[in-house]
Amino acid sequence: MSTPGSTIAAGKRAAAVVKTALFLTTILIWAFPVIWVIMTSFKARTDIFTLPPKIFFSPTVEHYVEAFLRSSDITRGIGNSLLVAGLTTLLTLLIAVPAGYAFARVTFRFRNQMSFFALISQMAPPIGLIIPYFFILSRTNMLNTYTGLIAIHMSLTVPFSIWLMITYFQDLPTSLEESAAIDGASPFTTFFRVVLPTVWGGVGVTAIFAFIESWNEFLYAVVLTGSRTKTVPVAIFSFLTTEESLWGPFTATGVSIMAPVILVALFAQRQMIKGMTLGATKG
Amino acid sequence: MAEVILRNVCKLFGKVPVVRDFSLNIADGEFLVLVGPSGCGKSTTLRLVAGLESLSSGEIYIGDRLVNDIHPRDRDIAMVFQNYALYPQMTVYDNMAFSLKMRKVPKREIDQAIRRTSELLRIDQLLDRKPGQLSGGQRQRVALGRSIIRNPHVFLFDEPLSNLDAKLRIAMRAELLELHQRLMTTAIYVTHDQLEAMTMGDRIVVMNEGVIQQVDHPETVYDHPVNLFVAGFIGSPSMNFLDCRILQNGDSLCAATDGLRLKIPAGKQARVQSYVGRDAVLGIRPEHIGLASDPARCDCLAGFTAVVRVVESAGSEKIVHARVEDHSLVARLDPHTRLKTGETVEFAVRMETVHIFDKVTGQTLM
Repeated sequence: MSTPGSTIAAGKRAAAVVKTALFLTTILIWAFPVIWVIMTSFKARTDIFTLPPKIFFSPTVEHYVEAFLRSSDITRGIGNSLLVAGLTTLLTLLIAVPAGYAFARVTFRFRNQMSFFALISQMAPPIGLIIPYFFILSRTNMLNTYTGLIAIHMSLTVPFSIWLMITYFQDLPTSLEESAAIDGASPFTTFFRVVLPTVWGGVGVTAIFAFIESWNEFLYAVVLTGSRTKTVPVAIFSFLTTEESLWGPFTATGVSIMAPVILVALFAQRQMIKGMTLGATKG
Repeated sequence: MAEVILRNVCKLFGKVPVVRDFSLNIADGEFLVLVGPSGCGKSTTLRLVAGLESLSSGEIYIGDRLVNDIHPRDRDIAMVFQNYALYPQMTVYDNMAFSLKMRKVPKREIDQAIRRTSELLRIDQLLDRKPGQLSGGQRQRVALGRSIIRNPHVFLFDEPLSNLDAKLRIAMRAELLELHQRLMTTAIYVTHDQLEAMTMGDRIVVMNEGVIQQVDHPETVYDHPVNLFVAGFIGSPSMNFLDCRILQNGDSLCAATDGLRLKIPAGKQARVQSYVGRDAVLGIRPEHIGLASDPARCDCLAGFTAVVRVVESAGSEKIVHARVEDHSLVARLDPHTRLKTGETVEFAVRMETVHIFDKVTGQTLM
């Protein structure tokens, strides 16, 4: 005979099973392409397109060897990506951190309008800007240059980074700066010795977001770079030509591009989620 | 140590006046408490003294120096904030050393000052910890240590105890006073807690809507409030207020309201003589209402009957909420008094201690 207690416990168990099933289904839908790419990158050339697909196979690293050792395109692409994403991140921080602080703390004319403009500039679809960007870089002789691509990538990363930093600075109590002022610190000392060390976590999260955005960016890179400066998301397409599609090295490179991003996201996920919800959870 | 003088100080935020015509002399070594409800301008006044807000008009002197245009770091003040404002990434040692480092004090002197101050505040075991690893009380002590280490002329406290739990607050209150008695540095202390103000201040300043209502010793403010606002704000439970009319009753005067007719003592009648036939407000402190049957309370002049609504037992006292006609009254009685809800009881009021206020201006008549 069932008691009310056991009925409630059974109900809770059923709800937990449904929840877990929904959770796993969602994860599977998201992860399927990723898993497919990872598996394909380790399959022998003959196993890639067998039907039905092989779930169990003897793994090989031949595609990784081919991608990295036999094709200079990919190694150069990764080098270019590291350079572009690294410099984009550094320059973005140099602008976004002081700008975020100014927007958060200093009162000046058109402050709200300017910060709002920074936000709406993000809303323009990139495809709509690609022609003007192409002309600007072409006229300034910056097509197929690192400077050109970094400048364009910064137009993507700076506005979002400013907003992220604004929320971190707004989260700091003003009494910290006031206390430093009374203690005798100049505005610069206050910023570098009191404020900045307190928002280091936020600066780190902003850097990760900016790096990932630049690292993953494909649309501008494919149009605005050439053989010398193309980044790895563009370089990867050298495996897909009209003559042949080298899916093995293609997926091996894909995994190599995704790996650092996924690893960073896994390690810094708590801070990144905090960064995204900072403004939302303030009381 | 220094005297602090505020002369006709005004502060506007946009067009909204927050502090109005504030003038006050704070004596050297005095512990002055600014008290009032939220938004009364007390914190702004403190921040004006600190230099964290600029004056709209008026003058502020610290010692004999006009400090209107002097940067906070050069005013020789120290401030303790409500949220302590400790630098989270620095250790307790570095937090305390920061202001001395900024003033280029030699390392050895800084170290000696930190050892001395941390022993005084019993935080010498915590010097290597960061603020996040400290309890609320410890953080409060570190904030105090950071402010006293420089030996400033004036201490400014902005609700420093309001983030602590009740027990710790009482303990820290006593510690702060002890510290003040030892250092005898001029202190301006802001609180919204009238009990804190009463227990800590040499003098208290009651503020409302940016205006000083009364400045005096705590007992004087409590026993002789200048107006309805002060009478209602200071004291817990609050003073009972009853709308009444001053009536001539033969040779004497009385304050009359529905169900109550309280005779005004002969010695005080002259003060309300001109109000005969006019409306006024009667103010009675809860501890001035007693049971008519209680011999200790019988030095009364007026009695009334009321129905007990709620009895709150607070251990050291009993707070009784009673109703007379449409009026609610609160009485503070002996803890051993036995009363039940719904019981009809004879109460007595010590009329020597009651107040009467002008109904229109709120000013105290007696």
